[in-house]
Amino acid sequence: MKLTYNWLKEFVDFDLSADQLADLLTMLGLEVEGMEKQGSGMDDIVVAVVEDKQQHPNADKLSLCKVNNGREILDVVCGAQNFKAGDFVALAQIGSVLPGDFKIKRSKIRGEESCGMLCSEKELGLAESSEGIMILPSGSPLGQPVFDFLKLKDTLLEIGLTPNRADCLSVLGVAREIAAKLGKKVENTIAVPTEGNVIADSVISVTVEDRELCPRYAARYISGCTIAPSPDWLVKRLAAIGVRSINNVVDVTNLVMMELGQPLHAFDCDQLAGRKIIVRRAVDGEQFTTLDNQQRQLKSDDLVICDCERPVALAGIMGGLNSEIYDSTINVLLESAWFKPSAIRSTSKRLGLHTESSHRFERGVDIGGVTRAIDRAAALIADLSGGAVAKGILDVYPEPVKPAIISFRPEKANALIGISLKREEIIKILNCLDFIVNEIDADILQVTVPSYRIDIEREIDLIEEIARLNGFDKIPTTMPVAAVISDRRTIQQSLERTVRDFFVTHGMNEVINFSFTTPDAADKLLLSTDDTRRSLIKLANPLIEEHSVMRTSLLPGLLETVARNINYRSLDLSLFEMRRVYFPTLDGEMPHEPVFVVGAFSGVREREGWSRTSSPVDFYDVKGVLENLFESLNIGAVKWVAENPESYYHPGKSCTIFVGRERIGSLGEIHPVVLENFVLDKPVYCFELDFEKIVKYSRLKRTIAVPSRFPDSTRDIAILAEDCVSSESIINCAKSFKSQEIEQVEVFDVYQGQGIPDGYKSIAIRIRYRSYERTLTDDVIGAIHDKVKDNLVNKLKVSIR
Amino acid sequence: MREQLELLRDNAITAIGTAYSEDALQEVRVKYLGRKGELTALMKGLGALSAEERPAVGQLVNTVRDEIEATLESSLSSIRESVRTEKLKTERIDITLPGRSQRCGTKHPVTLIIEEVCDIFAGLGFSVAEGPEIEHDWYNFEALNFPPEHPARDMQDTFFVENGLLLRTHTSPVQIRTMLKQKPPLRIIAPGTVYRCDSDATHSPMFHQIEGLMVDENITFGDLKGILTIFTNQLFGQKTGVRLRPSFFPFTEPSAEVDIACVICGGKGCRVCKNTGWLEILGAGMVDPEVYRHVNYDAENISGFAFGMGIERIAMLKYGISDMRLLFENDVRFLKQF
Repeated sequence: MKLTYNWLKEFVDFDLSADQLADLLTMLGLEVEGMEKQGSGMDDIVVAVVEDKQQHPNADKLSLCKVNNGREILDVVCGAQNFKAGDFVALAQIGSVLPGDFKIKRSKIRGEESCGMLCSEKELGLAESSEGIMILPSGSPLGQPVFDFLKLKDTLLEIGLTPNRADCLSVLGVAREIAAKLGKKVENTIAVPTEGNVIADSVISVTVEDRELCPRYAARYISGCTIAPSPDWLVKRLAAIGVRSINNVVDVTNLVMMELGQPLHAFDCDQLAGRKIIVRRAVDGEQFTTLDNQQRQLKSDDLVICDCERPVALAGIMGGLNSEIYDSTINVLLESAWFKPSAIRSTSKRLGLHTESSHRFERGVDIGGVTRAIDRAAALIADLSGGAVAKGILDVYPEPVKPAIISFRPEKANALIGISLKREEIIKILNCLDFIVNEIDADILQVTVPSYRIDIEREIDLIEEIARLNGFDKIPTTMPVAAVISDRRTIQQSLERTVRDFFVTHGMNEVINFSFTTPDAADKLLLSTDDTRRSLIKLANPLIEEHSVMRTSLLPGLLETVARNINYRSLDLSLFEMRRVYFPTLDGEMPHEPVFVVGAFSGVREREGWSRTSSPVDFYDVKGVLENLFESLNIGAVKWVAENPESYYHPGKSCTIFVGRERIGSLGEIHPVVLENFVLDKPVYCFELDFEKIVKYSRLKRTIAVPSRFPDSTRDIAILAEDCVSSESIINCAKSFKSQEIEQVEVFDVYQGQGIPDGYKSIAIRIRYRSYERTLTDDVIGAIHDKVKDNLVNKLKVSIR
Repeated sequence: MREQLELLRDNAITAIGTAYSEDALQEVRVKYLGRKGELTALMKGLGALSAEERPAVGQLVNTVRDEIEATLESSLSSIRESVRTEKLKTERIDITLPGRSQRCGTKHPVTLIIEEVCDIFAGLGFSVAEGPEIEHDWYNFEALNFPPEHPARDMQDTFFVENGLLLRTHTSPVQIRTMLKQKPPLRIIAPGTVYRCDSDATHSPMFHQIEGLMVDENITFGDLKGILTIFTNQLFGQKTGVRLRPSFFPFTEPSAEVDIACVICGGKGCRVCKNTGWLEILGAGMVDPEVYRHVNYDAENISGFAFGMGIERIAMLKYGISDMRLLFENDVRFLKQF
C-alpha cells in the first residue's frame, strides 16, 4: 500500500523524520518496502527573480537573463519564451541535480556564460509535460528552496502489508498504528455533510435481499452536481500514490477509500431504473458489463447491486458501464457497504478481476466505519461539485455487529512472550490500541475490540499485540531448558549422506534438476507402452508444458543437464543426482515418492597430463564406481545381469543389477536413439539405483575376519575361451572349487586379436593361494591348481593355453 | 706366525683405508677373510704349532679377524653414509608439476546448506523429519490455519495436482505430520523441496526450505530468539546482528520476520539489502493455538515455536550468487566451485 509522509501527518501529529517513521512502521510489522523522497536533494533549486532579459546575440530562440537569487545576480541563458523581466522563477543553481540525474554545471551556450537553469514543471518532476518555465507568484521569498516554498517535500512510503492487517489499508489505519506506538491520538476524522431539505429515502430506496453476503448497505443521495475535473490538490494527492484522476466525484470516492479504507461507489442516479438499489445474488449465466468495458458472465455465488431491472455493479469489485458517472451526470447515488470477504474473494478470483476495492473487501473493512466514510465523501463531493446532499443516510444494517469481547490473562502473555510486564503496563498498551479494558479480577481482563480490528478474535491475538507494541527488541533473548533427546538420524538419512559423500569422493558433481518434466519424457526414453513409468502425476496449472508432469525417472533431467553442459563445451562429465521420483497410486492413497540415484559419465576418464594419457570413459568406469559403492555399503551378492536391459540402454553394453531376486538398479551406455532424443552426439554412460533397495540391502554391521599370518602365493592360468563364455563364469568356476586355500581369483588380462582364432578370446586369471594354518608348499599349491584347471576345462568349454 | 698375523692385520687395515667403494671393500674382505683368503691360509699353519702355542695363536687369529671385521664394518657404514649423502644432494624432482589423483567432486550448494543447517540443529537436539512433496490441502493449508478462501493463501501460489492434492508450498506440513505422530516434547528440523508457481531471477518454481519446530512446556518467544541467534551466528559468523520484527503467518502467533545484519555491507546499506542494512532470512513465531487444536495438543499446557527459511536464499547470500536460476542450471563450471 502506498501513502505519503505528509498525508499521515494530517492524521496524527508526530515528530519523526521519514527514515525514523519507516523504521517505526517496519518494527510494528508494517514493513516499509520502498521509500521515494520527493524534493530531497533539490535544495539548490531556489526562488529567484528575473531582473533583466535580453536577446542572445548568437541565437534567435535564446535569451540572456540576469537572475537574482537574493544573494547574487547570475547570468543565465534560457530558451523559454513565456516569461519577462520581473517574473519570479525556479532557478536550478550550479551543482543541483534535477530528476533523471541531470546535473547543472557552469556552461557556455553559444558563447555566452550560463550559471544555472530556469526550470519548467516537467524538469522539476512536477508534471508530465509543461510549456515554458514555471512562473512563481510575485513576491515569493528569494533564495528559498522551491520545493520548500511550494510545500512539495514529501516521502512516498510503500508498505508491504501482511494479509491480516486489513485495518491498515488506509492512511487512517497506518496513522492509528503510529499513534498507538507513540501514545498519541489520531485526529478527528468525522466530517458531516450539510444536508439539504430533500429527504433521501423519498428519492431513492435500498433493498438487501442477501443479508448474509451484504450485512450492511448505506447510500446517500446528492443532487445537482456538476461533474468537472478535480482540483489540483486532489489530482496531485491521488497521483502521488499512483491513482489516475477521473473527475471530481470518482476522485473523492478513491480519496476517501485511501484515507479511511472504506471502498465507495458512485452511481449516476438517473441511470438507475426506479431509482432503486437491490442487493442480490446474480442469476447463473447473467451477463454484466463492468466499467472496464468487459462483459462478465456471472454465477449465483456472485453478489450484484441492481436497480429495478438489471445489475449496475459487481458488489465490492467494480461498477457497471451502465451507471457510471459521466460528464453529464447530475444526481449521484453514493454507496458505502460491507460485503462478506470470502464471497468477494471468490468472485474476484474467478473473474480475474482484482481491484483496490475488492482487495479491501476480501480482507475485511471496518463495518463500523461505513457511515463515517459516506459522510466524508458526501461532504467533499458537495463541496467540489456544488451538489446538495439529501437528508439522511439509507443505512440497511438490520443486525449490528457486536464488538468482540475477549478474556485476557496478562500472566499468560508474559509467560508466552518471556517478559514480565506489570498489569498496568499491559492495560496501557491495550488502551493505546483503542481496546477497551474491563478489569474482571486479579487474573483476567475483559477486552473489547474496536470494530476495525477484525484480526483480533482470541487471547493469542491480544498477546501478539502486547509483544508487538512493547517491541520485539525488548524481549530478552533466552535459551530453552529442555530434556536431552537421543533421537538419531534414521538409517535412510545417514545413508543418503554416505552415498552423496561416496560419489563426491569419486569425483562426481551433484546436480539438482526440477521435479517436473515434459510429458513425452517416457517416449524419449523409449519406454514400452505398459511401463509403470508412463503413469504420471499431472499438474493442473503448470507454468510451461515442459514442466507439466512429475517425473518418474531422474534420467531425462540428467541427460538434459549433460546436453546443456556439452553445449557449454564442458565435455568431460561425471554427474549424479539423488532425488525423489513420483508415482501415482490407486484409490486416493498418497503418491509414492521413492528416492533414486542416477549418474552420468561422458568424455574422458582423466584429463591428459604430463604423467598419463587420457582415455574415454566406458561401461567399466560406471561399473567400477558401483562395485566400489556396494562394497563400501557392504551390499553382498550383487548380480549383474545382461538379459532384458532397460529400453534406454545399448542392448549389448548394459545390465540390470540384482540382489537376490530383487532388481536394485541398472547401468549401461545410453541407446543411440535416446541420445538423439536428448540432442546428444557423444556416448553417455549412466546408472540408476533405487535408493530404497540400497537402504534395504546395506549391511552396516560387519563381521571382520582376522588376516592370515602366512605368506601368499599366486598362480596364473591363461585360458582360451569362446566369446560367449563370460569372465564371471570363469571366475565363479575357479572359485567353485571349494578350497580354503583359494583366497582370491581375478581376471588380469583379456586379449583378442593376433594369435587368437576368430570367435575366441584369451583370458588370463590370477589365483592367490594362502592358508590360515601354514605356509603352503609348492606341492600343495600345485595339486590344488591342477584341480582348478581340470575343473575349468571340464565345466566350461575352454582350453588352457 | 705371530708376526705374520700382525703383518696380515696391518696390511688388511691399510687396504681398508684405501678402499673407497663398497665393491673395493668387498674385495678386501675376500682377500683377507674369505674362504680362500690369507687368514684362512695362515690358519692352516696352526696345525704345525705346538700344543702350548696353539691356544694363544688361535686367540690371536680371532682377535685379528675381529679387528679386520670391525674396521671393515665401520668403513662400510661410512662409505654408505657418504654415498647416501651424495645421492640426497643430487637427486631432484620438479615438485611444481601437478600431482596425480582422482579429483574430488562436489555437492550441490543446496545440499551443502541443508547439511550445514541440519548439523547445527542436530547439535541443539533437533531430529530430522521428512514428509511428502505431493500433499493434501489439509496438511499444507487447513491444519496450518489457512482457511479455504482466505487471502493468506495468496501468499503462496500453489501448483495443484488431482484429488485435492497439491505440491506442497512450504515444509510446514511436516510440522503437522510430526505432531500427529508424536506427543511433546519434540524438536524437529525438516528440510525439503517445495513448489510455487512463480519464476524469475529471485523465484524458482521449485526450491528448498528448512522448517524447525520445538514444542515443550514453558517455551517462550525469548527462547525462539535465543535459538535463532545461536543458529544465525553459527551459520553466518559469531557477531552477525539479528533482528526480529512483527509479521504474519497463519500458523504462528506472535509471528516474526528474522533479519540478519547484511552480510555484504555489514549493515551500512547496499544494493543487496536495499539500503536497509538488514537481510530477511527467516520466518518464525510461536505455534498458533489453532494448529495445536488440529493435532490434538493442549495449548494451555504446552507452548512452542516454529521457523522456516529458504535454502536458496541462504546459499545465495553465503556464496554471493545473484541469480537463483544458476542453482538449477547445473553448469559444472558453477558446480565445481563448491
